[in-house]
Amino acid sequence: MAGKSGRTIANVPEKSLKKTVLCWEGMLVILFIVINLFCGGISPSYQFANVLREMPKYLTEMFLLFPMAFILILGEIDISVGASVCLAATFTCMASNQGLPFGAVILVCLLTGVACGFINGLILTRFQELPPMIVTLGTQIVFRGIAEIALGSGGSVSLSNADGFRKIAGKAGIVPYILFVVILMAVLYSVVLAKTTFGRSVYAIGSNRMAAYYSGIPVQKIRLIIYTVTGFMAGLAALFLTSVLYGANTTTGNGFEMDAIAMAVFGGISTSGGKGRLFGGILSGFTIICLRIGLGQINMNPQLILIILGILLISAVLIPNISAKLKLKKKAA
Amino acid sequence: MKKKLISVLLCVSLAATMLAGCGSEKAASSNADAGNDAGQEAPAESGSTEGGGAEGGKTYAIVTKAAGNPFNEKTADGFKEVIEASGGTAIIKHPEAPTADAQVSVIQSLISQGVDSICIAANDENALQAALEEAMAAGIKVCCEDSKTNPDSRQVFVNQAGVNEIGVALMEAVHDITGGEGQWAVLSATSQAANQNAWIEAMKKTMESDEKYSKLELVEVAYGDDEPQKSTDQTQALLAKYPNLKLICAPTTVGINAAAKVLQDEKSSVKLTGLGLPSEMAEYIGDDDAHSCPYMYLWNPIDLGRLGAYTSIALVDGTITGAEGDKFTAGDMGDYEVIAADDGGTEMILGAPFKFDASNIDEWKDVY
Amino acid sequence: MKENKSILKKITGSREASLLIVLVVLCVVISMRSPSFLTLKSISDMLKNNAVIMIMTLGMLGVLLVGGIDISITSTLALSGMTAGMLVKYGIVENTFLLFVIAVAIGGLCGFLAGLIISKGKVLPIIATMGFMYIYRGLAYIVANSQWASAEDLGAFKEFALGSVFGINNVIIVLVICYAVFFVVMKWTKTGRMVYAVGSNREAAGISGINTSSVELMVYTVMGTLAGLCGALAVSIYSSAQPNMLYGREMDVIAACVIGGVSMTGGRGSVAGALLGSLILAIIAKALPLVGIEAIAQNTVKGVIILAVIVLNVITQRVMDKNNLKGREM
Repeated sequence: MAGKSGRTIANVPEKSLKKTVLCWEGMLVILFIVINLFCGGISPSYQFANVLREMPKYLTEMFLLFPMAFILILGEIDISVGASVCLAATFTCMASNQGLPFGAVILVCLLTGVACGFINGLILTRFQELPPMIVTLGTQIVFRGIAEIALGSGGSVSLSNADGFRKIAGKAGIVPYILFVVILMAVLYSVVLAKTTFGRSVYAIGSNRMAAYYSGIPVQKIRLIIYTVTGFMAGLAALFLTSVLYGANTTTGNGFEMDAIAMAVFGGISTSGGKGRLFGGILSGFTIICLRIGLGQINMNPQLILIILGILLISAVLIPNISAKLKLKKKAA
Repeated sequence: MKKKLISVLLCVSLAATMLAGCGSEKAASSNADAGNDAGQEAPAESGSTEGGGAEGGKTYAIVTKAAGNPFNEKTADGFKEVIEASGGTAIIKHPEAPTADAQVSVIQSLISQGVDSICIAANDENALQAALEEAMAAGIKVCCEDSKTNPDSRQVFVNQAGVNEIGVALMEAVHDITGGEGQWAVLSATSQAANQNAWIEAMKKTMESDEKYSKLELVEVAYGDDEPQKSTDQTQALLAKYPNLKLICAPTTVGINAAAKVLQDEKSSVKLTGLGLPSEMAEYIGDDDAHSCPYMYLWNPIDLGRLGAYTSIALVDGTITGAEGDKFTAGDMGDYEVIAADDGGTEMILGAPFKFDASNIDEWKDVY
Repeated sequence: MKENKSILKKITGSREASLLIVLVVLCVVISMRSPSFLTLKSISDMLKNNAVIMIMTLGMLGVLLVGGIDISITSTLALSGMTAGMLVKYGIVENTFLLFVIAVAIGGLCGFLAGLIISKGKVLPIIATMGFMYIYRGLAYIVANSQWASAEDLGAFKEFALGSVFGINNVIIVLVICYAVFFVVMKWTKTGRMVYAVGSNREAAGISGINTSSVELMVYTVMGTLAGLCGALAVSIYSSAQPNMLYGREMDVIAACVIGGVSMTGGRGSVAGALLGSLILAIIAKALPLVGIEAIAQNTVKGVIILAVIVLNVITQRVMDKNNLKGREM
C-alpha cells in the first residue's frame, strides 16, 4: 500500500501540480467575475465609483499581502504585521503633530515599520530554532504595547494637520492613488518573486531549507531581508491607513495579519512553503475585497460574512485536494 | 499557453466589470436626477425592507460598537422601533470587530448606499473623522450616541448623561456606601476607554471639590480591559493588595459584572457600585450582606437609541442642524435642546443616570 | 562527585527543570513584592481563573505534537459555551451535568469536523482552523441571536464553579483530572506513544503500521472536546455567556505550549512542560496587577517576558545539545 502510493507520488507531481495551480488561478479569475456580477446583482449601489471609493481602506491590507506571500513561501508566518501597522501609525500621527515637514513624517512612518520588521528578522535569524509564529506573537504584544504606552491614557491620537494625508488619500478622477501604488507594488513583487535569483532562492528555501543552505543560498540573510521588507510594507500600509483614519489608536491594524494570510492562502499560496504565485494572491485579494464590499452594501450580518469567508478559505484548499485525489484514483484505475 | 489564456481572461473580465460598472453608474445617476429626494431608491431596496417600499421612505442607519454587546443591542432595538414607527427604514450595522478600523468600512458602505443619516457609537474619537467627513460631504447627517467622535466629525452628540452628573452621582454613592471614610478603588475598562476616563476624572474632581469627601482615599484605578478573566484578576488583586478596602466602583458593565461575582462568591465585606446592566446585575443587587452591590446606576439604552432615532429624523428633515440652541420634540420623550459640549461641539443630554437598587431591580431586569 | 555532576546535568539538561527554575524565580520575586501572592487562596483563585486556558493547553499539546495547530479553539469554546448558556436561559435544559455533556459534545463535533478536513482532506491545519475560527465564532453569534445569558439566567449552572469537594473547588478538580489523565495517557499508553510517533516521523510511523490520519483526527477531536468542556466551564466560572467570549485568546494557549517547550514542528513536548508553560502565563497574568506595574505597560511587560522565556528555551536546548555531543566524544 505504502509502496504503491509512494510510486504514484513520485510519478504524478510535476504535471498535476502545475495543472492544479494553473487551474486555481483560472478559477479565481472566473470567481472574480462571478462575484462582481453577483454583487452588482444583489446591491444596486455596487457601482464602479462606489467600489473604488470604498476600496482604499481594504487596499491597505494588500500591502501586507505581498511580503506575507514571500514569508509563507518560505514556510514561515508573521502575525506581528498588524501591530507594526499600529505602532507605525501611532508614531506617524505623533510626528505629524510635532510639526515635522510631511516628508519627515513619511520617513518616520516607514522607518518605524522597518525597525519592527528588522527586530523580528534579527530574533528569528539569531535564534533559528524559534518558530516564527511564536516570536511574532511575542513581538506583536510588545509592538502594540509600545504603541499603548506612547498613546498614553486616552489611547488615541488625532492628526492636528491632515493636509499631507489628504493629498495621499486623493484621487485621479475616480481612481484613488493608493490603487496605483498597490498595482506598482504588485508588479514589483511579482517580478522579484518570479524572475530573479532572489525569488527563486525564496522558493528553494521554502521547499527544502537544508538543500538550499548547502547549495550556497544565504538563507539567513534572505530571511532577514524579507522580514525587514515586511516591516517596510507595514509602514507603507500605516501611512495609507492614517490617510483613511486621520488618527491612530490601540486597535489600529487589528486583524490585518489574518486578513493578509487569508488572501494569500485563498490565492493558492501554501503555508507549508515552496508553493504558490503572487498572481493568485493578488487575484484573491481583489476577489475578497469585492465580496466584502458587496456583502457590506446589502447590510449582511458581519458574522455571516466571516462564516462565508471561512467556508471559502477551507474550500479553496479542500476542493483542489479532493479533485487531485479523484484524478489519482482515475489514473490508478 | 495557459498563462496567456489567464491574462487574456483577466483583461476581458476587468474590461467587462468596468463597462458594467460604468453602465450601472450612468443608470444610477439618471435615477438620481429623476428624483433628487427619492433618488435613494437603492437603499430602500437593498436594506431588506419589509414595509417602506414607497419612494419617499428615508433610510436611517445606526452603527454600533460591536456585535454581541448587550448594551449596543438594546440601543439598536430602541433606534429601530422609533424609525420604523415613523415610516422610515432602519439599518442596524455592527462592525465585524470592536475597532474604529472596522467602523470605517461600515461608514463607507453606508455612503455607497446613500443613506440619509448615520447615528454612530464611536470606537475611537478621532479615527472616524475622514470617513464621517466624507459622509457629511455626501449630504448624510451624522450624529453620535453613547461615545462621541471629535466635533469635526459630527453634527450633534446624543449624550446618555452629563459627564459631571455621572461623576457626582457615583461619588455620592461611594460616600454613602462607605459611610464617608475609608479606602476605595476604581475598576475600569481599558486604560484608553474615553468614556470611562472622563467619568473617573469627573469623580476625582468631585472628590476634591467638597470637604465631605476628604476622608475617602482612592487607592487605585485598575483596568480589566472589559474582559471577564482580566477583570476577575484585577478585582482579586485589589482585594489582596488593600485589606482595608471598603468599596470598588466599576463604571463599566463588564467590569462591574465580574467584580460583583468575585465579591459575592467570596462573601467579601467590600461593597460595589458603578454602572451596570440591570439584567446582568440582578443577581448581585441587594441591601443585605449576601449581595455585593447595594445599588448602581445606568441610563436606559433603549431610550438612548430612541433619542438617537428622533435626533436623526430631526436632522434629516431639517428641524435641527446640530447648532447650539436648536430645540425639537422627540416624540413621547419630550423636548430636547442642543447645548454646547465640553469639547467644542454640541450635544444633547438624555437625562440623569438612573438608580437601580433592591426595590426596582426586579422590574428592570427583564427590560434590559 | 559523580552524583553532583548528574544533578547539574539534569538541571541544565532538562527543559522542564529550567522552566521550573524560571517559575520559582518568578514566584520568589513576586512574593517579595506582594506577600499575599503565595497564599493558598490566591493560588486557588489563580488556578480557577486560568483553568480554561490551562485545560486547552493540554489539547493544544496533542495538536502541536503531531505537527499541527488549532486556532479555532476559542471559537469552539464560544459556540459550545453560548449554546449551553442559551439552553439554560430559556429553561430547555436545567441539569448541570447534561449541559456539560452537551457542551462537550458540541466541542467534540467541532473538533472532529476540523480534524476530518485536516486529516482526510489534507488541508493545512492553520488554514482549516482559521476557516473554522470564523465559522464557529459566527455560529456562536447566530446561536446568541442578539441575546446573552447573565448570572440570573444561569441559575444552578453557575453553582458548579462555586462548589467544592474536600475543600477544593470543582473547577480545579476538573483541571487536575484533565492533567492527570493526559499525563498517564501520554506517558504510559499506546495512544500517547502513537501521537509522539506521528509527530516525530510521520512516514516512519505510517510504515510501522500506525494509521497516521486517524491519530490526527483523534488529536483534533480531543482538542475540540476540551474546548467544549472549557466553554461550559467558562460560562459557569464567569456566570455570563456572550458570543465574544475569549476572543483572540487562542494565541495565549499556543504561547503557553511553546513556553513549556513544546515544539511547533511536532514530536517534542510533554504534559509537564504544558503545565509549566501555562502556569508561567497564569502567574504573569495574576502578578502584573499585584506588583503594581502601570496598567499601560502591562502588555509590553507580558510580551517581553514571553520572548525572554522562549529565547531562554533555545539557549537551554543549545546547551543540552552541546552536552550530549560532549558525552558522545568522551
